[in-house]
Amino acid sequence: MTHILLRELDIPDIGKMEVYLANGGYDGLKKALSDHQPDDVINIVRESGLRGRGGAGFPAGVKWSFVPKDVFPKYVCVNADESEPGTFKDRQLMENNPHQLIEGALICAYAIQASAVYIYIRGEYWDIADHLDRKIAEARKKGFIGKNILKSGWDCEVYTHRGAGAYICGEETALLESLEGKRGQPRLRPPFPASEGLYAKPTVINNVETLSNVPYILVNGADAYREIGEGDSPGTKIFCLSGCVNKPGNYELPFGGETTFRKLIFEMGGGIPDGKQIKAILPAGASAAILPATDEVLDTPIVYGAFRAWGTDIGSASVIVLDEMVDIAWAAKKMINFFSHESCGQCTPCREGTYWLSRLYKRMDSGQADAGDIQTMDAVAAQMEGKCICALGEFAVNPVRATIKHFPEDYERAVGNGRLSRR
Amino acid sequence: MADTVKITIDDIEHEVPAGMNLIDAAKLCGVDIPVFCYHPKLGHDGNCRMCLVELGLPRKNRETGEMELAWFPKLETACTQKTCEGMAIRTTTERVTDARRAVLEFLLSSHPLDCPICDKGGECPLQNLTMAHGPGTSRMYWEDRMHLGKHVALGELIFLDQERCIHCARCIRFQEKIALDPVLGFDMRGRKQQIVTSSTPGFNSIFSGNTTDICPVGALTTADFRFNARPWEMVQVATICSHCPVGCNMSFDTRTDRLAGGRTTIRRVMPRQNEAVNEIWICDKGRFARHYMEHEERLTTPLVRKGGMLVEATWEEAIREVAAQLKAAGPNIGAVAGGRLSNEDLYALQKLIRGQGSGDLSAYLPNATGGEIAARFGVGVGTNLKYLGAGDAIVVVASDLHEEAPIWWLRAAAAARRGAELIVISGRETRLDVEASQSIRCAYGAEVATLNAMLGSLPKTAVKAGESLDGMAEAIVHAKEFTADAALKAAAKTIAGAGNAVIFVGSEGLTGEASRELAQASANLLAATGHVGRANNGLIIVWPSANGQGAADMGFDPGFGPGYQPVDKPGRSYGDIFAALADDVIKVLVIAGADPVYDDLTAEESIRKTKGFIVVQEMFLTETAKLADVVLPVQSAAECEGTYTSGERRVQRFYPAVEPLGESLPAWLITQRIGEVLGQGAPSVSAAVLLAEIGRNVPQYAGITCQTLAKVEEQFPDVGGEDLYYGGTSFQNVRGLGVQWPTLAEQVDAPLSVAPAQAGEVLEPADGEMIVVPVTLVYDTEALFFKTQLLHQRVPLPHIGLNPADAGRLDMVDGDLVSLTIDDHRVAAAAYLDERVPSGVVTIPRRLQTQGAPLFATTAPVVKLEKVEA
Ligand SMILES: Cc1cc2nc3c(=O)[nH]c(=O)nc-3n(C[C@H](O)[C@H](O)[C@H](O)COP(=O)(O)O)c2cc1C
Ligand code: SF4
Ligand code: SF4
Ligand code: SF4
Ligand code: FES
Repeated sequence: MTHILLRELDIPDIGKMEVYLANGGYDGLKKALSDHQPDDVINIVRESGLRGRGGAGFPAGVKWSFVPKDVFPKYVCVNADESEPGTFKDRQLMENNPHQLIEGALICAYAIQASAVYIYIRGEYWDIADHLDRKIAEARKKGFIGKNILKSGWDCEVYTHRGAGAYICGEETALLESLEGKRGQPRLRPPFPASEGLYAKPTVINNVETLSNVPYILVNGADAYREIGEGDSPGTKIFCLSGCVNKPGNYELPFGGETTFRKLIFEMGGGIPDGKQIKAILPAGASAAILPATDEVLDTPIVYGAFRAWGTDIGSASVIVLDEMVDIAWAAKKMINFFSHESCGQCTPCREGTYWLSRLYKRMDSGQADAGDIQTMDAVAAQMEGKCICALGEFAVNPVRATIKHFPEDYERAVGNGRLSRR
Repeated sequence: MADTVKITIDDIEHEVPAGMNLIDAAKLCGVDIPVFCYHPKLGHDGNCRMCLVELGLPRKNRETGEMELAWFPKLETACTQKTCEGMAIRTTTERVTDARRAVLEFLLSSHPLDCPICDKGGECPLQNLTMAHGPGTSRMYWEDRMHLGKHVALGELIFLDQERCIHCARCIRFQEKIALDPVLGFDMRGRKQQIVTSSTPGFNSIFSGNTTDICPVGALTTADFRFNARPWEMVQVATICSHCPVGCNMSFDTRTDRLAGGRTTIRRVMPRQNEAVNEIWICDKGRFARHYMEHEERLTTPLVRKGGMLVEATWEEAIREVAAQLKAAGPNIGAVAGGRLSNEDLYALQKLIRGQGSGDLSAYLPNATGGEIAARFGVGVGTNLKYLGAGDAIVVVASDLHEEAPIWWLRAAAAARRGAELIVISGRETRLDVEASQSIRCAYGAEVATLNAMLGSLPKTAVKAGESLDGMAEAIVHAKEFTADAALKAAAKTIAGAGNAVIFVGSEGLTGEASRELAQASANLLAATGHVGRANNGLIIVWPSANGQGAADMGFDPGFGPGYQPVDKPGRSYGDIFAALADDVIKVLVIAGADPVYDDLTAEESIRKTKGFIVVQEMFLTETAKLADVVLPVQSAAECEGTYTSGERRVQRFYPAVEPLGESLPAWLITQRIGEVLGQGAPSVSAAVLLAEIGRNVPQYAGITCQTLAKVEEQFPDVGGEDLYYGGTSFQNVRGLGVQWPTLAEQVDAPLSVAPAQAGEVLEPADGEMIVVPVTLVYDTEALFFKTQLLHQRVPLPHIGLNPADAGRLDMVDGDLVSLTIDDHRVAAAAYLDERVPSGVVTIPRRLQTQGAPLFATTAPVVKLEKVEA
């Protein structure tokens, strides 16, 4: 298959401006500016069915259509914080195919009539930020950025902004706060960013991968895009495969059809090392509930919502494979420590709950836990549910409750025993 | 009431104001929704999750088109909701009670539970809500708690116990939204998140103490109160702050104990709610600067000068001596009274002096005058700065409100943030300018000219409201002689067009005469544009002390008797009194509650020179008292009862909180005992009886009695009751909201008139001279204030403010010694370079160094001192 996103696999130098241009680069932007009114662009993206790739899977065109027409200035924020454990797709897109992201962001900006695009990039990607700055300069030289873009009368700037290393700043409203120079803490909603976002102005926030799809849609049309993928999950998805697998990496596959975990892990990923058995899959890093690697799970075509019955989803598709040697309670401990460390601390259930849970796992690790503590873990997580300001607190429930539910034996083994580890 | 809507709370329908915060609305309906982070004065932040309820909103059914109630699938925070028609909530279901229990369990999971030694214990929202909604036990292992700092000084005034903090951010939000000193914030994240201060010195805000009231736990405590008493041991005694003309309602919380030798002592000062005055706030001066009251240097016996020395004497001896001197002097006597005296003290004193045939009565400081103008054109009854907002105007002229009347500053700034036009007119930039919509700089001495020019610039149509007033035509003709530039025209237009308008009349640098003209100019502008005679309109004089208005009302103004009744012969002004003393024309001078020698060189010279007899009523052996012939020890406002009249003309009552120190007596009683010897009649049996006499003789105070002053009514928000979690520990007002007396402009057919306001001379410095302006600081070295050790670190060192350009001209850098020569007297202090001081002007803080600032703005040669001369 040819790639829509990881195009460097088909055209090695796609990151270079001349190569990108020679392969239809910026045609999407040109087409948008010359052939379409801003609202038409929104409609095309809506009809394409493109869904957000940052985790929540919200239809991008619908989000853009919420932006009020008569309030200015407006902004586009590109979420390049890529901080979900096991996610490393955005960096590959930005490193190898940066102009496609810039073009996609500009098309979005044109659609909502924004005057600036901010690419919020995690601080650890400083080198990629420098790289993007150079690419932005190239695009500006070509007249794709700045005043009167392609003589359309529309002005737009593109900036990069580096985060300071907080997972929570990937949450879109915390991202906005951070971008404004404040503490990265999620905002209360409503108001939603589409109406009051950056500096309280209408703002669209999309993931890098989401926006990287947009040029293709503009050039080839919504119908062509819908032909890829399945049902309400059109297009392709980059799966970040890692963990106990022979060939970790990014794999771009169309939604549905033959795309299953079995194909991803055993065909593309080359299976489990050392002839071990697969035990479980974390479909979306630490955030979504764990999946036991049953045949049913392995053979379910992957679309948004395919794993609803298991209480989980593919989110940003950072697939972490766990083999039979992995103690799931150990994995849960790592995840809860992550959430405890990354909780912004704003709201009570998440701040206190993640800390409390991390202490309980520590107890278990040191062999002090009893059976009652497993119940307490489950209860503490349960009473966080539905009470938090942002999704981080809700995510933090998953590693605890789902692992206790699907792998009780790993917990029971730890009682009075201790030393949770990758055995 | 504004628009109302019907909402359903737990299946009962209620009618509540539309768009009101749901927590407040439920409270009006008698339903308590527990909160930690929400506060009626701060709004919502949604972080604690204590207020979760089941929420339903009406929604159109897509199929039937009918409106139906749709319940949200998850619990929602009530504090983030505004009431709307058809809204429904459930607050008692199992889901809700489970959620409350869960949130409390979370909060307690990291709480130290050191209630037995916690200052908040007994009045702690976390304790109370845990009792009401919490789990009885915790599943958290005790040793799993995080251990954090227990005594973290955010500054020397406020301490943080990091373990107790529940991260509600109320303190941060108070500093950001209300105090406008955003000096607190969170550091770190997650469970490690901690309150920190970002300022140097730490927690740099004169409103810092309020955070300890609204902190829902014992995380923030004051250096004054921490580990000082348990809330339930204390008795609350209602009082009024004696530091500035705002008249904040406060409480002295007292305890009688062995440690104090069985005496009752004040353990802390707390705000008492009065929504029209201070809402639920007080400044740190009001809260902490109380220690003079119980200070060891307080005078406890009368002192009489014998053989050149002040020696202890009996009351009988002292009073006999004073009475004899007064008798001998006949009408050649006078009195100077400070604005910390109560109305009763002041009334008695003027009665004594007038009874002997003299009208030489002056208030101290003498800068602010114009009480009679406030009596006619002051703010109307029912005025509440809280109601000023968009469409209204507030003018502040010749005052640095932040330093002179902190809570007014806070409320004026809040009005500006609500959209009121804030116009600041002054000789220099002050903190209020940051909040102002129009900043107008005028030369010192040109304040009246500025207001006149504004009035003169208005078209006929804009001054229609005041047309029929006696004297208005002349005032306007006079005003037209002054020219207004575009800024003044715009400001005048703003005032004319405002729905409500209030002018704060200050007196920075002004003489008493000039400030009277400024009050007149303000009155003219307000009256011309129809901004008098009703609530939220009129002028407020920024008196330099708590009871400046009361002093004027009681007749401490050479032109008037008590209640601004005409006098046959005007008395001497402040300056003339000391001149007459120096010339031995005045033979006995009574100085009560004032320390002119500390501020005023002329006063000192006069006192040293005179052969006359000086009587001082004081709490301490002040610089003035040291030069007296008799010193009479008076009680502090914590020991006696009485009334103060705030700058908004609200008469408010304070109650005795502790036993009097030594033999000290209430000032009014001392005065009346002297009067008794002189045949003026027996003393009143109590201050209350004296207040009744004031009511009979001072027309404005007619009908004002202890009973009327003690009246209370329900206030919104209703704080300080049992539900401490809602508003904090500011006390509910149960001892009286006071009475604001009506202005003449509010009375039908009252003989009301205005007059042209005479502009004074703008100071013209000669070569080598600059304009020297005395300015007021909130924290200074004034005798009573400086007795509070706790605040010493906040008092700046002596300094002279200088524009950097002038400093450059004088070849000076910050910190160099600068010297001024005022009337042969040299003042030297470190130069403080400040852009906000206009070029050609130096500022000297009043009462920051002995023998320093002049009383009024003046001109003086300014030079750099090369080195400190021995
Ligand atoms: C705790 C948390 C972390 C998140 N981190 C990221 C991230 O690193 N990158 C990202 O694109 N979206 C992240 N999201 C999702 C964003 O909030 C948001 O949904 C997304 O940027 C929207 O873009 P999309 O619609 O294109 O997916 C995160 C959400 C949460 C709650
Ligand atoms: S859920 Fe956690 S990360 Fe989100 S706002 Fe609350 S404390 Fe912060
Ligand atoms: S110190 Fe008090 S007011 Fe401030 S965040 Fe902590 S609990 Fe809240
Ligand atoms: S604002 Fe004035 S009256 Fe109020 S507490 Fe401060 S000094 Fe006292
Ligand atoms: S979240 Fe509503 S009161 Fe704290």
